[in-house]
Order: sequence, then C-alpha cells, then structure tokens
Amino acid sequence: MSVTNLLENWSQFRKSHPEGDVPHAEYKWAMSIDLDACTGCNACSVACYAENNLPVVGKEKFLHGQQMHWMRVERYWDEDGRDFPDQGAQFLPMMCQQCEAAPCETVCPVGATNHTADGLNSQVYNRCVGSRYCSANCPFKVRYFNWYDYPTTDDVWPAEMSQQLNPDVTVRGKGVMEKCTFCVQRLSAAKNTARNEGRSVKDGEVQTACQQACPTGAISFGNLMDTESRVYKQWKNQRVELDKEEQAKDKEEGGSKLRGYRILEDLRAYPSVMYLERVRESAV
Amino acid sequence: MIENGMNRRDFLKVLGWGGAAVALTGCGNTSVEDGKELITSYVEATDYMIPSIGVYFNSTCAQCDAGCGIMGRVREGRVLKLEGNADSVINHGKMCALGQAGVQAHYNPDRVRDPLLRSGSKGEAITWEKALGLINEKLGGAKGDEIAFLTGGMSGHTKALLGNYLEALGGAKHYAYDVTAPAVVRAANKKAYGVEMPHLRLDKAKAIVSFGADFLGAWVSPVHFSQQYARFRKGENGQRGVLVQVESKMTLTGANADRWLAVRPGTEGVLALGVINALGAAGLYLSEDVKSLVKDYAPERVSKETGAPAEQIGKLAALLKERSPSLAIAGSAVEGYAHGSQIAAAVALLNQVLGNVGKTIEAPANVPFQQLAPAATGRAALVALNDALAAGKVKVLFTYGANPVYSASSAMKFKDNMKKAAFKVAFAHYLDETALEADLVLPLDSALEDWGTFVPAYAGDVAQLGVQQPLMEKLHANTRGAGDILLALLKQKEADKYKGFEDYYAYLRTAVVQNKAALGGAGADDDTFWGETLSKGLVKFGAAGGSLSGKVSAADVALPAAAAADAQFPLTLIPYVTPNQRDGRHANQPWLQEAPDPLTTVVWDSWVEIHPKKAAELGIVEGDIVEVTSKHGSIKAQAYVFPGIHPEAVSVPMGYGHEAMGRYAKDVGANVLSILDPVADKVTGETALNETRVKIAKAGKRVIVVKEEGAAGGKQMGKKIAVRVSTDKVDLSEEV
Repeated sequence: MSVTNLLENWSQFRKSHPEGDVPHAEYKWAMSIDLDACTGCNACSVACYAENNLPVVGKEKFLHGQQMHWMRVERYWDEDGRDFPDQGAQFLPMMCQQCEAAPCETVCPVGATNHTADGLNSQVYNRCVGSRYCSANCPFKVRYFNWYDYPTTDDVWPAEMSQQLNPDVTVRGKGVMEKCTFCVQRLSAAKNTARNEGRSVKDGEVQTACQQACPTGAISFGNLMDTESRVYKQWKNQRVELDKEEQAKDKEEGGSKLRGYRILEDLRAYPSVMYLERVRESAV
Repeated sequence: MIENGMNRRDFLKVLGWGGAAVALTGCGNTSVEDGKELITSYVEATDYMIPSIGVYFNSTCAQCDAGCGIMGRVREGRVLKLEGNADSVINHGKMCALGQAGVQAHYNPDRVRDPLLRSGSKGEAITWEKALGLINEKLGGAKGDEIAFLTGGMSGHTKALLGNYLEALGGAKHYAYDVTAPAVVRAANKKAYGVEMPHLRLDKAKAIVSFGADFLGAWVSPVHFSQQYARFRKGENGQRGVLVQVESKMTLTGANADRWLAVRPGTEGVLALGVINALGAAGLYLSEDVKSLVKDYAPERVSKETGAPAEQIGKLAALLKERSPSLAIAGSAVEGYAHGSQIAAAVALLNQVLGNVGKTIEAPANVPFQQLAPAATGRAALVALNDALAAGKVKVLFTYGANPVYSASSAMKFKDNMKKAAFKVAFAHYLDETALEADLVLPLDSALEDWGTFVPAYAGDVAQLGVQQPLMEKLHANTRGAGDILLALLKQKEADKYKGFEDYYAYLRTAVVQNKAALGGAGADDDTFWGETLSKGLVKFGAAGGSLSGKVSAADVALPAAAAADAQFPLTLIPYVTPNQRDGRHANQPWLQEAPDPLTTVVWDSWVEIHPKKAAELGIVEGDIVEVTSKHGSIKAQAYVFPGIHPEAVSVPMGYGHEAMGRYAKDVGANVLSILDPVADKVTGETALNETRVKIAKAGKRVIVVKEEGAAGGKQMGKKIAVRVSTDKVDLSEEV
C-alpha cells in the first residue's frame, strides 16, 4: 500500500473492519482480561514461549530491546510521590490487541499483515520483508522483529532443546516481524474439528496458551459473535462495544460503576481485548 | 501368599504403605512380581502415536514440591508442552511459569549423561555396574551412622524406598533440606493448630492479612492458592475479599494487596499484637491474659516500632472485625528472624482472637501412609549435616535434589567440610556446584522420563497421590531414575526382599495395585486399575481431615525488644525467593531467566533493591554496582532503586550466582545465600533468613539494568493504560 493510496483512502482505512459489506460472519475472536484477578505472575508469558516457539535472546540482546515477549506483563507504580507503593503495583498483561482497524496493517508495504475474516490481525511470515513500519506504527508496541536468525544462533535452541519446538507453529527466520496470534494454530485446529462435525466452535472448546495457564483465570477468550460465550457476555455486561471509539457508558454522569475498558481507545484502532479495571478496597 | 520369606509387615514397608492409618485389604504377589508377566513400558504405547496429532498424557510436575497434576502434549514421540491436569485438586488444570519450564529441564543441553567417577579434577565416564559396585564397596567400610543422605523435598514411593535403604544400611541418616521451606511456620502451626499445614480457606475468608506469606508467588503451593485467591477476590454478592500484606520487602502477593504495610524488618509480631490491641479497643472480646499481653501495644507505640501508620492499624482492625471470617497467614517473616516462632505465635493468636480457627483454618486431609508423606524439609538439616561433616562423622555422603555447596552460607564452610567425607555420591541432573565436589556423579532421568509418585506438600481438603510417568523415551541412554538407582542399591543389601522387582516401574505398579482398595479401586481388576491410574495421573486418598486440636495462649508470645542499631552493618538483608528462581535449582532453564521478575522486571541478573530514600542518602542510582558486605563475605550486584522495600532493608533475590550447573546459569548474577549470617530461630533451630546485617557501598562501576518495564519505561504518561478503581466506585455484583 503506497503512501498515495493511504492518504487518498484514509477514511476507508480508519474504520473498524466489520461493517456492512464484510461483517464478521461466524467468528470474531476476542479477549477480556480481569486486572483484579491478574497477579502478575508471568505464567501466561512463559506458556506463550512454550506454545509459540519464542526464542530466548539472552541478556545482551534483551538490553538492545530485542526480546520476543509476545505476551509481556507490564508493571506500573503509582506516580504520586509517596514513600511506599502502599496499594501495590499494577500489572497489565500486554499482547497484540488484534485491532479491528489496525494501525500496523495500513503501513505494511507488502500486505504481510492484514485482517482475517475471524477478526484476527494476521502476520504472513513469508510475505514479510522486514520494513518494521508496522512495529513503528503499533501504539501498543507488541510487534517483535527477528534481528537474528535464532534457529542457528548459539544456545537459543541447542540440540535437544529444538525437540521442544511446536510443529504447529512456524519457526521464524531472520528479518521477519512476529507477534501474538491469539494462538491461531489452536483456533484453526478447533475450527477444522467443528467444521468436520458440521457445527461452530463451542465456547471453551479452544483456549489460548496464556488463558489455559493463568492460575487465577484472569483471561477469558472466545467468539464475540457467539452470544452464549463468556467473552460476549462480559463485553455486553461491561457495555464495551467493539466498533466504538468512545463508549456510551463513559459519557454518563457520575460514571457507570462498570470497569471494562480498552487501552488507547481514542486512537480508533478498535482493539479486540477488553481489560477490567483493577479494584482496590476503599476501606483500608 | 507372601513368598521370599517376608512377613506381611515387611512387605507393606517395602512397598511404602507402612505406617498406615487405614486398613489395607488383600495381599499377595502379582504375576509381575512372580515374573510371569512382562512389563511393557508405557512409553512404547505406539497405539496412541498418530502423526501430527498431539496426545495428552497425565503426570505430576516435579519443578517444586506443590505436586501439581500436569498433562504433557506428546507428538511424534516428543513431549512439546505441559498443561495442567484439570482433575488435580491442587492446580485444577492451571500451571505456573516454573511448571511450564519443566520441558526445559527435560531437554536441557547441560544434563549429565553418564555416571562420572572423579579422576583428579575431571570426571571419567564409567558404567553403572562399576558405579553401583563402587558404592557398595565404599559402604562396606562405613557404619550405618557414618552414612548420610542429603535430599531436597521428597515424597511418595521414592521416599519410601530411600527410607528402606537407610534402614538397610543400618540407620543411615536422612537430612531433608530446602532453604525456602516453611519450616518454622510448620512447627508453629503444629503448636497452634495441631497440624503442620492446616487447610487455609482463602476462598472463604472475607479479609486476609498476610505477614509476608507470598502465597501468590513462591510460598508452599502458589497455583493452588492463586485459584483460591481468585475466588476470594470475586467474593459473594459482589463483596470482594480484602488483602492486607505486612512485610518489609514487597513480594508478588504484597504487590497485589489492597494495602501494603511496609514495616521495619522483624516487627511483624509487634504489628500483630497491635492489631489485637486495636481489636480489643474496638470492642472485640479478649480474654484476660490476651488483654494483659497486648495492653502495651497501643497504636502509637506499634506505629513507632513498626513504622506503619497508626491510622492504618486502626483501619486494619476495623476491617478484620467487620469482615468475618477473616484469615491471618504467617509467612516469610516467620522464617526470617531469630524470634520467628514468636511472630508465628502472635499471628496464631490473632486468628484465635478473631475466631478464624475452624472457619478459615481447617484440618487438612490426612495422608494415611506416613512412609509416603512429604519429608519435613528445613534449613536446620543442613546445619546438622554440616556439623556432622565437620566433626568427621560422615564417611559416605549422598546428595539428591539439593545443592548445598551453592546454597550454604560461606560461614558454614560446607565445601571444606564436605571434603572430610571419604566418598561423596551426587544424584544429579546437572554438574552443579555440589556434583563437582562429588567423587561419583549418578546421572538422573528427567522428571518427564521417570516414574514416581508424589504427595503434595500442601494437602488442602483432599489427599492426592500424584503419579509421574514418562512422557517420552529417554533422551540419553545412560541416565537412570532415582527410584531405579535406590532399588538397585537396595538389592545390594536386601536382595531377597527386592528381587521380585525387575525395575522401579515393576515396584511402583506392584505397590499401587497391591493397595488399590485404599486408593478407590476396590474390586477392580489389577490391570484396569493400573491403567486408569496412569490415565488419570493421580489417585485420591479421600481421607477427610479431623478437627484442629492445638491452641496458642498469650504465654506463648514473648516478643524481644527491638534490635539495637548496628553502626557497622546498618541494614537488614532480605534474600528474596522469586517465583521463578526459588532456591536456584531452576537457574539453567532459560525461559525462567528471560521471564522478568514481576516486581523489578529485571532479567538475566541479580539486583540489590534499595528504597529511593536510602539510595539518595547513599548517592546510589539505578545500575550502580554496589558491594553488599556482611560479616561473612560480600557480593557485588547492580542496584535497583525500588519503592517496595523498607529503607532499613535491602533485598537480593536467591537463585543467581551459580559457578557451575550449565550455560544459562553460570556467572549470571551473585549468590546472596553465600553471605548469610548463621543465625537460627530460637525455638526450632532453623536458620533465620533475614537476620543478616549488611552495609552497602558503591563499587565504582555503573551498568544499564536489563529489564522489561514496558514501552514507556514503566510510566503511564497520563494515559489510561493500567487502570485502578476503588471499591466504592464500582459495582461487582452484576458482573459475569
């Protein structure tokens, strides 16, 4: 997509995907993460390493910002200048938000990243030329670039270690951008099974690796088109609408007493991940 | 029909069902024992191997002593990933980061592959026959009490076999050692509640006050507690449970508290008594002796001693009074100080005053077979072994699942003392610091290649025997399971009793099947029962716990006066047990090195946590290499200016600073355990972990701290990124 094309057709790019002509038909994968349940333990992150063949880059490359945390847990402190963070830290599991109008997609010169009919922001590894425009344009900074050829780098997957690699997931080579896929390999397998049986994927039938590991069950994942799914019910209950950049509940006087929100919603990227605010007791 | 001249009692003992509190039914040898039936190893079950299809096999996680049930995804004969076993009462299908990394322990490139015999400074590969023969020969020259076996946490049939072996050796001594063990907590619980580990009902509690127990991170059974925590937070009718954490260094649990109370190191007990005092003032009934115990602990004094705001003590007392039942948990504060047992007693008294005993503190399920129950690990065991070694009383030393050369304080001179033992045998996965000092190294199967049974360290309401089975063929032909080695060693001593068991698998199968009635398989066909057991990966004992019996009285609590300031070593050193590194045994699993510490987000290195105020006072900024000096040595590490620590303390994580073990562990960070002062809890004799006094000084260099603080350096820049809301502004009752 050239710059001319981008500028001329800006409004077309800047809208959420499921509109009129190409609505999400059967599936719209989405997530909700309860930050009050999240303890910041990192189980999700390591589970993602195990499932998605993420390389361990080591200290020096980590220092250069070349770590490959598809799922990372961000930690924030209160910025109020008190002596102690006496209401604890705030943890935020951050991964690709699978935006409906993804800023990364519009800038890819080769169309390597684009939207699937299931509402995923997909990354086609063998189309990627490594311009890294997508990463620069991602407001969430969740795209990770292969600066090295990790399969042939010392101590990344030495001898026996390579036997652990998941055959369902490509091992990426040098010069390729990668990011969270919502465990698309698991989604494909579940969809195939369901299709063979002439039905849709049922809620709970497929879990992402992070969701499956999470000891407190903070992560829900499912099909937003399925009104029986937990994730649909949560979004509806929290009155967070996928295709709005401002939620009606936020404009209500006095607030809504609901805690669902999406990060950087005003950028009109329409993320597919809803977070539930962390709660802290007012009595102590 | 017992053959081989064994009586029934011996037979039960051989199989690990000795000390049974429930009746065993049936007896007799199986066709396996009699050698009429061949054992086909489960790993050869090619029936289940369909190319491109992942098949799940249940087993038990061996990364820590919690004993979570796991399922390994196996494809084309390789285990690819571990998931939680939904049937397990411990983890209900969930996993932690440590557990996930179990595959990296298995596929680790630095595993020991052959038995190694010391030849000068090198290890020479020898055969198992020679290795076992050598052990037998060396044991011949030692009396029973001159033989010592140092292990980490152990349970199940491997522990039963070890017990039998020690007895066969004429009373060799077992030292069960784990530097992170809640040993003082267990002893204090035994006194206060009559059981070492009561069933803590976090899910029933409406408010929890934890004195340094990092139950979400690294304490006892974190995955189990995390699930209870999630239910506690959900609460009933939208009334969410409230967590208050009292500690000097913020743990993962502290970071999740509604109120984190930073107290001066060692004053946790003072705070507990202060809360009791405030409860009394708020009108809660206190008996006369309790009243007189706490009368001097008025909020002002407590606030002065602990550093916690007086207002918060009142609020905490009001909360605990209103939200009943509540739960007070004694954790690392208790392991930390010479008066740790006293802190635990104060916390138990708080529970008693609040009427929590019997409500949120229940009797745990009984493990009916004492031979299989988890060994009581502690730090005193290492001190005792060290003393025996120093006195030259140990001729043959075995180590298994413990790395004392790494984890002992330099004050103990363990490495030198170990040399006094004439023959040292290390059961080892890696050539770690201890294996390098051994005369003979026996290479172990990984946990995903081996057979075994585990009894979880924390039972909860249902006792469970986790079954460990190989998830794939062995990677290295010449490694062996610990059970197989012990069985071979036992055959050297008591051939008659054990000759019926070709290998540890045969032993295990016989043991489990023989006691099937007590394991819920009464009337089942042996093969069916065994098959089902392997398929489920666990069996439940189902023995319900009784009632709690102990009691703590005001007379049990005698807190010492505040420690005098030490001009030479002004700071308290808190060695931190991180969720991922624990005592350092997992340091060679690269996922765990690259997974950031949740609080500091530091990777691939140690750090020294210093409060911003203290750092400013000493002119230290993030990345300064600082020297932390105690009476027993010093370490150097990068400074991390951290708000979650009391200014009078510094904290360094455990598990780093290996001099050996493997490519991912070696030379990463510094070993905080090496500079600890050997101070013990006065009641139990367990080494008190936070009693080391240190001074810190800049060592001249400055580095960039390698960490993952998020895209904007840990700042939200006024954006709505990680949002927090207080309970009065949210309605949780209608949530899905």
